[in-house]
Amino acid sequence: MTGFITHRIIAMLLTLVAVSIVAFAIIQLPPGDYLTSYIAALSSTGDQVDPRVIENLRRQYGLGEPFYVQYWKWVTGVVRGDFGHSFEWKRPVWELIWGRLGNSLMIEGMAVMVMWLVALPIGIYAAVRKYSLGDYLATIGGFVGLAIPNFLFALILMYLAYIWFGTTMGGLFSPEFENARWSLPRIWDFLSHAWAPVLVLAMAGTAELIRILRANLLDELQKPYVTTARAKGLPEWKVVLKYPVRLALNPLISTIGWLLPALVSGSVIVSVVLNLPTAGPMLLRSLTTQDMYLAGAIILLLSVLTVIGTVISDILLALIDPRIRYGSK
Amino acid sequence: MRKDNVLGLAGAVALAAMMAAAAPALAQQQSPTFDDLVSAGTLPPVAERLPANPLVVEGDSIGQYGGTWRMGMNGGGDNGLIVKAVAYEGLVRFASDWKSVEPNLAESWEANAEATEYTFKLREGVKWSDGTPFTAADIAFTVEMFHDPDYAAASWIDNKNNPASIEVIDDYNFKLTFPKPNGMLMDELASVNGTQITSLQKAYCSQFHPTYNENAAAEAEAAGFSSWALHLQDRCAWGWETIRFANPDLPVLYGWVIETPLTANAARVTWKRNPYYWKVDVEGNQLPYIDSLDMRVSQGGVEELTLAALNGEIDFQERHIATNTNKPLFFDGQEAGGYHLGEVIPSASNTLVLQLNFSHEDPVKRELFRNKDFRVGISHAIDREEIVDVVFTGQGEPFQVAPRPESPLYDEELAKQYTEFNPELAIQHLEAAGLTETNGDGIRLMSDGNPAKITVDVISALRPEWIDMLEIMQLQLAAVGVEIELNNIDRTLFYEKRPGNEYDAQVWAGDGGLEVMQDPRYYMPFSDESVWAYRWAQWFNGTRPEIAEEPADWAKQQMELYNQVRASSDPDERTELMNQVLAITKEQFPVIGVSLMPNSYSIIRNNLKNAPESMFNAWLLPTPSATNPMTWYFE
Repeated sequence: MTGFITHRIIAMLLTLVAVSIVAFAIIQLPPGDYLTSYIAALSSTGDQVDPRVIENLRRQYGLGEPFYVQYWKWVTGVVRGDFGHSFEWKRPVWELIWGRLGNSLMIEGMAVMVMWLVALPIGIYAAVRKYSLGDYLATIGGFVGLAIPNFLFALILMYLAYIWFGTTMGGLFSPEFENARWSLPRIWDFLSHAWAPVLVLAMAGTAELIRILRANLLDELQKPYVTTARAKGLPEWKVVLKYPVRLALNPLISTIGWLLPALVSGSVIVSVVLNLPTAGPMLLRSLTTQDMYLAGAIILLLSVLTVIGTVISDILLALIDPRIRYGSK
Repeated sequence: MRKDNVLGLAGAVALAAMMAAAAPALAQQQSPTFDDLVSAGTLPPVAERLPANPLVVEGDSIGQYGGTWRMGMNGGGDNGLIVKAVAYEGLVRFASDWKSVEPNLAESWEANAEATEYTFKLREGVKWSDGTPFTAADIAFTVEMFHDPDYAAASWIDNKNNPASIEVIDDYNFKLTFPKPNGMLMDELASVNGTQITSLQKAYCSQFHPTYNENAAAEAEAAGFSSWALHLQDRCAWGWETIRFANPDLPVLYGWVIETPLTANAARVTWKRNPYYWKVDVEGNQLPYIDSLDMRVSQGGVEELTLAALNGEIDFQERHIATNTNKPLFFDGQEAGGYHLGEVIPSASNTLVLQLNFSHEDPVKRELFRNKDFRVGISHAIDREEIVDVVFTGQGEPFQVAPRPESPLYDEELAKQYTEFNPELAIQHLEAAGLTETNGDGIRLMSDGNPAKITVDVISALRPEWIDMLEIMQLQLAAVGVEIELNNIDRTLFYEKRPGNEYDAQVWAGDGGLEVMQDPRYYMPFSDESVWAYRWAQWFNGTRPEIAEEPADWAKQQMELYNQVRASSDPDERTELMNQVLAITKEQFPVIGVSLMPNSYSIIRNNLKNAPESMFNAWLLPTPSATNPMTWYFE
């Protein structure tokens, strides 16, 4: 087991180095740089900048330097914990993103919990009671959930809230709590705002989980060991939960690592529509304005989280499934 | 200018008259929110805070103090909203009808006959928001900063063709001199660009400059900046960049001072009244009436903002939400939301300007694009009525790229020439341009045998209707044998292609419909935004000499005339010269327009008084600030 974990961690570190190069290359890919997009943004409001200012700024920001020089400067800073300065906000990147990453993790973590809590029982029920009314309802609900894009669901919720309750839905806090410290009333305020994005984000995922779990479980339930267990007179709940569900969970656990980046990127549009101060809109904006250190830091952190998530899911899998544990020797 | 002096004098007389009047009649001299501070002695009394001769601003009615003006920003980078709502405080200002220049921080000025020397007199006793006096030394410091080669800022102050230099006469009088005549200085100073010269307080900002603080470089490094210049920019900003509104310590001259700064994670930006604001209403009450401003910051989408406006949570706004598609929604929601719609006249003349690249790398295309018959042919092939009906639900009319009807320089012939939809005439012109043969698909062949195909760069993210319009134009032009290919790209790439000369054509809106003289980008090769003659404009401005190209004779003639416009200090002479520039534009027909930019609308809460029922929307004339929001109040 120790050998297995050591292997995984060495692989993880190598992957991170590769990821940092790719992340930096990706943010350098689009034509132009921060200053070009800065000029473009100014022109769209009718404003104009003197080309001399741009040349001057380009020199000061070191944007004219070759790729490897810029990468080296960046990555050595990252190792020391310095993610560089955001061009647009003239602030250290770390200062800008930690609060937003926190919001993202909180909202998306809650969405994942809701997803699992709702999807697991329904999925199991749908598989065990195949072709019952409940299964059909779960199937219909699942397909509707899958088919409605998140942002559209968010828009519909906002519109209904406006029509029915006359309120403007959006944001994570009421104005008086926006800049306050965490306290019980603030947590309550947060929860009273967070249910909508959590619901929206959890919906499509729930539908998907139900379908996956149902399909996996159906495969397992037909296997001879289940028949044997039943023949031996085990109670039905034990027959289902003891082995088949555990095995059916296997593919779900192995994708924990992807869950986080999928949620962050999947939630960009929802966050923009619902006006949530999460990492998604900041990533989107930093990419369009080519604020490269900011975008690079977010991409890198997401990648790090993905890689760590993958390692964790590997270890979890090894724990619940002896076949993987022994296969590594 | 004599008139302006009279205005200033009238203000002084009005104030003197009020001071003479019995004090109890003037009980309401300041906002009640300051009463406690004044009686506690932490704030000087209002008479000491106001200048000797405060600027008197007349609203439709005398207001009452209090309330919060709520509006919304689209994403954190939307500093433009602040500039247009709050930060328009220069030496002089435009009247809200954009027809004259009025005193602001300067109470009077004089120019010499050659327009090379301007003497200004500042309003005595104006104070920054920290209570220290605003004097000519602040202006001199700003000019010095702009001339500093290490300081990455540029403006008309250090325009290398005609840089300004300053001579301070005393605390309140100073002189700006120019090596060459600068007849348009007052227009420049009254525009949003003019606010640059009043943006830096010497006492605060000089602490970041090595001349005034020998440790400046070390302090910049300690603060994490690679140079003092970046540190100074971060603390003071050189114009109206986002960071200008991120530093609550920066003293300003605005009606409101920042309370919650504009930072990357700000969910809202709030402002509170400036106790030292130097404007009063006709009864001598210190302005502004409204206590505070509340700008909610969206995460880059306008959906929530739109709903907030429908819900009556926005008091006055045009920016971002007043789209064509939202109009019926806002119209229907007026009663429920407790607001009504005001009129907003755009400064842009045209909904879409098709600019063909006059300096195309391919000599055949260059020849073709420069051929007037070709452009006239395209123009006649466009059925503008159809586009107006389909895309703009009938709002607007066929129009070329020309001064708007509201402009004194409006010329109906220039605005309407070649707008008639006439495919036969179009074909005649195209044939006259040498496009006589067609290929099997019915596309005309250029002189090298290749089909006449134009790739049009467009940024649909900026104006989604451009794609709709171009798709209609695509069909209409294909009918006369010209192929258009749409190239929908990101705006950064859009700009990168210009210096590289890698484009056939680009589209943009018709800026310069009202600010004809200040931004004649489509009438002549003027700036980097004159995409149709990008390389000619470089020749004109002396920027990027490596790609500059000598313009055609007619364009040189325009440049000659425009230089005379710049030099002349006589408004009538400038108008006459500009008309000559436009006459050449009419003759040459460089760019193709589609339709007149239709009016937009603003959301005005019904209890908000003195707000403009009709205003312009421009950048050089920053609205709503130019309509004096300091006189708005809530009933």
